[in-house]
Amino acid sequence: MPLTFIEIEKQKSWRIGVLLLALICLYFLAAIFLLLGLSVIFPFLFLYSVTNPLNLAAIFAFSLIAGGMHFWFAASGAVQRVIRQLDAAPPDPEDSLHMQLINITKELHIATGNTRKMSCMVIPSLSMNALAVDDLNGEAVIAVTEGLLSKLSRAQMEAVMAHEAYHILSGDCMETTVAASFFGMYASALEKLRNIDEEKYRGYHPAFLLFWVLVRLSQMLNMLISREREYRADAASIRMTRNPLAMAEVLYILSRGWTGVGLISSGIEMLCIVNPEPGELDESEGWWSNLMATHPPISKRIKTLLMIAHMNKSALKVRPEVNTGTGDMSPTGEVSSFACPSCKESLFVMSYEKTTVHQCYSCGGIMVENNKIPRILARREVPCTDRIRSLAKAVLTDNQRNLTVRRLRSASIKLSHPLKCPKCRNTMFRKFYSLAYLLEIDRCNVCGITWFDKDELEMLQCLIENKITASIALPGLEEEA
Amino acid sequence: MTWFLIAFIVVIPPAWAVLAYNRLITLRVEVKNAWHQIDVQLKRRHDLIPNLVTVVKGYMDFEQETLEKVVKARTKALSASSFHEKAVSEIGLSQAVSGLLAVIENYPTLKANENVLRLQEELTTTENRIAFARQFYNDLVANFRTKIEVFPDNIIASVFHFRPAEYFSADAEDRALPKADMSARPK
Repeated sequence: MPLTFIEIEKQKSWRIGVLLLALICLYFLAAIFLLLGLSVIFPFLFLYSVTNPLNLAAIFAFSLIAGGMHFWFAASGAVQRVIRQLDAAPPDPEDSLHMQLINITKELHIATGNTRKMSCMVIPSLSMNALAVDDLNGEAVIAVTEGLLSKLSRAQMEAVMAHEAYHILSGDCMETTVAASFFGMYASALEKLRNIDEEKYRGYHPAFLLFWVLVRLSQMLNMLISREREYRADAASIRMTRNPLAMAEVLYILSRGWTGVGLISSGIEMLCIVNPEPGELDESEGWWSNLMATHPPISKRIKTLLMIAHMNKSALKVRPEVNTGTGDMSPTGEVSSFACPSCKESLFVMSYEKTTVHQCYSCGGIMVENNKIPRILARREVPCTDRIRSLAKAVLTDNQRNLTVRRLRSASIKLSHPLKCPKCRNTMFRKFYSLAYLLEIDRCNVCGITWFDKDELEMLQCLIENKITASIALPGLEEEA
Repeated sequence: MTWFLIAFIVVIPPAWAVLAYNRLITLRVEVKNAWHQIDVQLKRRHDLIPNLVTVVKGYMDFEQETLEKVVKARTKALSASSFHEKAVSEIGLSQAVSGLLAVIENYPTLKANENVLRLQEELTTTENRIAFARQFYNDLVANFRTKIEVFPDNIIASVFHFRPAEYFSADAEDRALPKADMSARPK
């Protein structure tokens, strides 16, 4: 393995060349299989054999064009596609944790000699994962979920970012981005065809065979995505941070948390630091798993890192200081430019869970920008008070009953005095935070802010932290049954 | 055939010499650029330290010694003239700053102060940037020195007086000091 980031960068071009070649070969094989299949079904259409040199040359020319075009389309706008899919946004410099992420990205540029422009993004999700995407437009992005950002210390975050930076510099990202697009594109096309088939073609669509062959072949592309690259990225991370224990701790934390199953779709899981939905192959060893799996077993990665750190597993049990908030709301001394929608008093800027919110001293209501809500929810680690817990449970049960009654009567919420948005003065909508967490909040859809009445934000944090959800069944009916 | 051989002998060695010379020049420029990158970060640290000292002074009556160490190390680093002096004094300053950052951790009132937290993050990132810039510079110096010493490039290097660049590191005696381990960067 190359020792410096300068040497890692040099290896990139030939690896991408190999990938392009593999793509062309796959198209060539797909075309041959398709023609062979069709010549068996419709022999009268194929007067000349597929093995005829002229035909082979024509097929090769087709695969050359198809492979080249595929590579270009897959790798040119990949970053924007993935970012849109995950709803990731640039970090907020006013948030101390996001600022830390920006600083670490700047440090990475220095460590890698500014050879590649990399930017960081935050995925507003409570899951814990990180991924790197790269494309031919020269964009490279490292995206980290809000959940991971709040659970890791600075040293651990440095380790994650260095790991992802290696993937970008070594060309791994380009490989995986193209491979992911290959699989994702054909799998979704096949899925769409299946839906059409049922209605019109009853399972026989001419393109069905082609896409089926392409999906099978794209799975073979996984063979190119070696699981060794994760070990190499771990090693590069240690070289930069000189801290093997931090990387081991990260993997330990990830192995015990929600890594985004359901959120990160099957097309892009190979871009992540750990597979969001590890299958049996990912957690096993042997030549077949080595060939087909994209990620190595986490336990083996942790073991290797601990060996380098000359430590044993007990070192992982000691949790270092993490970036979770204290649960206290402290004034920053600034008066907000907005007024309380309820009692019209001025709001005050408060520091809460390492970000800022606007609070009314009079009624205790809190105004929060929508993009800050996932941060606040992710950073909660302090146990909620008994008062908040019992209040949250009571409100939840009450709202559950109201919702069921309303559903049975097909009625909607009618407020006598709807609140006006403190920012744009438009009427805010009163709605439930989600169907799982039935807490009523006021939301302005124009400027993207949410108003929480007194204790509502803490109740929401308590419900999510303790996973207290509403059951959809009618409580009265349950008792009768 | 003879003409071909003569052409081969006349063209190949000068072409190789030009390539080797250009490669050495590129490496030398890269090393210089990497050094300037360190310099930028060192300047950033020198500017940050007075701010931090001013903010934490009131809270840390019992840690005057730590603060004085930082201030002294900064003055020494600013007055360093030669490359070697600079390397040694900056590493001394790194240790002093690491000590200060460790001490801040023991003061809950300091840790609750937004200004201190912001400055602490700034200083931590600056320390990291210096460490990474130094690491990158040393990698380039290693490449350059290897190129100068391996055959046949060493011929061109000696003809055009390419001197090996110095590593940015402490002396052997400095390294023997208990706190000379740069890997103990602030977390």
